[in-house]
Amino acid sequence: MESLAKQKITEDLLPQKFGKPGKIWVGVLLGFCAIGIIAYCQQLSKGLVVTAMRDYVSWGIYISNFVFFVAISLVGSLITAVLRLSDVHWSTPLTRIAEIIAVSAITCASIIIVVDMGRPERFYNLFLHGRLQSPIVWDVIVITTYFFVSILLLYFPLLPDLAILTKYKERTGARLHKLYSFLGSFWKNTPSQIHIGERAINILSVTIIPIAFAIHTVTSWLFATTYRPGWDSTNFGAYFISGAFLVGAGGVVVAMFVFRKAYKLENYIKEEHFDKMGKVLVLLALLYLYFNVNEFLVPAFKMKKSEEEHLLGLFTGEFAMVFWFAITTAMIIPILILIFKKGRKPLPAFVAGVLVVIGSWFKRYLIVTPTLLHPFLPMQDVPENYKHYFPTWQEWVIAMGSLAGALLIITLFARIFPIIPIQETITETEQHEKD
Amino acid sequence: MKKTSQQLIAFLLLLTISLSAFAQVEKNSLSLSISYYNSNNQTQYLVAHAKSKIDGKFQMIPNIPVSFYIGSKTPETLIGKGVTNEKGDALVFIPASAKDEWNKAAKVSFVVASPATKTFDEGEGTLDLTKAKLQIDTLADRKIVATLLELKDSIWTPVKAVDVRIAIKRMDADLNVAETPAYATDSLGVASADFKRDSLLGDSKGNLVLIAHVDDNDLYGNLSSEKTVPWGKSYTYISQFDKRTLFARRGKSPIWLELMAYSIVVAVWGILIYLFAQIRKLKQLGAA
Repeated sequence: MESLAKQKITEDLLPQKFGKPGKIWVGVLLGFCAIGIIAYCQQLSKGLVVTAMRDYVSWGIYISNFVFFVAISLVGSLITAVLRLSDVHWSTPLTRIAEIIAVSAITCASIIIVVDMGRPERFYNLFLHGRLQSPIVWDVIVITTYFFVSILLLYFPLLPDLAILTKYKERTGARLHKLYSFLGSFWKNTPSQIHIGERAINILSVTIIPIAFAIHTVTSWLFATTYRPGWDSTNFGAYFISGAFLVGAGGVVVAMFVFRKAYKLENYIKEEHFDKMGKVLVLLALLYLYFNVNEFLVPAFKMKKSEEEHLLGLFTGEFAMVFWFAITTAMIIPILILIFKKGRKPLPAFVAGVLVVIGSWFKRYLIVTPTLLHPFLPMQDVPENYKHYFPTWQEWVIAMGSLAGALLIITLFARIFPIIPIQETITETEQHEKD
Repeated sequence: MKKTSQQLIAFLLLLTISLSAFAQVEKNSLSLSISYYNSNNQTQYLVAHAKSKIDGKFQMIPNIPVSFYIGSKTPETLIGKGVTNEKGDALVFIPASAKDEWNKAAKVSFVVASPATKTFDEGEGTLDLTKAKLQIDTLADRKIVATLLELKDSIWTPVKAVDVRIAIKRMDADLNVAETPAYATDSLGVASADFKRDSLLGDSKGNLVLIAHVDDNDLYGNLSSEKTVPWGKSYTYISQFDKRTLFARRGKSPIWLELMAYSIVVAVWGILIYLFAQIRKLKQLGAA
């Protein structure tokens, strides 16, 4: 890093046009989004009957997706706020990646919750006539707040970079130049602006931590305040937050690897970053495993009659394969890979990150669906398809579309803005050289 | 030829035995019994119980049509009809038309009968009842007395050594007035109990309903008698429906929740608005 000149850093980190693979990637994502929109139009016209959700499983993969998105969005507060406030500097190249993951995830969480509604045109009533006693209203408030905090936390550190980008009109093109000018031409890098900017970032870093904890705790309370087998737990807030940090950190490791490869950022996202993020992932995976042991061992030890069917369904029954797959891929295998130094090299760390993300998605599915299929009162006199849940193709396509949408936001952001903070990297390099 | 005839006879014999065995398996015998109830010396009714031994166990039989008779089983003495419910019970109130038959003697008989159905044989049950009445009253120092009398030669005579349950009538069950639930009648036919339930919630005037029961007595059936006494604590139900609670409707959330929620929202959004104002300030600094 010491040998890199300021000019070189800027040119290395300027947004790059998509090559052929980039265009194909965007095309594929757009394709998924388009199919998702078509399926959603069908759902809008025919109603939620096109899904496999019925009286018992009224929260299917849409809500699993929602919980997944909310979880992954917490990484913004972990990397940007917690590490910044702890005066950890190695995470500087990762802050923007974390923040854009947070913004895209929280955006898609908001979208998917509307998708789950039978009458989305009545959504505004939640704001006009919401019951303050309902955790759903708390969730609406906290998600909206978290969205704006994340946007601001993305925007303030971007201001110095926007000022730099405006100087590269030939390379960025006229349209993007207009956008950069609109968003940040007023940034002159004066001491008073720097002071305001830094203070704003610090305020946001402090503010976002309780909001991030609130957003996922409230999401967990949507379940835990309902008296049902598997959800009736006082452990849920901490269990959800630890899982959220794990999947978020896993997502960052995956994004680090992809951006490093695609934009040739080996000088900025170094092996050291994978090593450190690998250690963070091991810690988070162990923490989540600990909460999982608490969440399942204690009720399994007591094996209350009313919870027995639900628990056995997870351990050895119809959900056993998904359950053990999720536990193994989200926690055990990543720990086994990343605990060794060789496992914290970019490629194995990337594999571990992918496993964490995939396992975590299924973990959310397991939190939502099996409980709904095991109510306290037995299911009687209902059609057979009420007793099982397997998503219809419309649900799969819409869920995939929302995941593609999140990836598309991240991809387009990286096309328009520097994915590694330019000004901060320059400042830190200069500081390092001075020292 | 002879051999063929023997084979045919053997076959027919076997078929007859099989069919009769089959018929036996198909039809079960039905056991009918009757219980008599006299509630507060006002309402009298009969309950028929239908049961049958199936797979070695007695089971209550629903959907059995039953007819109730007073005295003997004749069309003239029919007092009502019913069909057993899922507990195997059928209830009929004793109508005013049975008055003459009832007044004939101190003892009265009831008959319940059911015709044969596809799965059960016909059944019949009888009950021989001695007419009796139970009275409840109170004395000083919150003492409760229940008197059991039977009709003997047109005279109400005290009945000795019968267990009477003395309790307080609550919504779903009875509550003992003291530690002991039941008391035996003495030579005067009196069972007495002390009321030991202080500060028990009653109605808005503090009224409680005392109740005395004779349960399933072979001679007298089921008798009960009630008396209202002002021995409870007055209780007025206050509806929580429109109060500020966590389960109330919109706009009726608890004040503490509103204070907490709104102060958090105001604090966080105050910070956000301040930060948006900082962006404006940055713009002004940049323009200067």
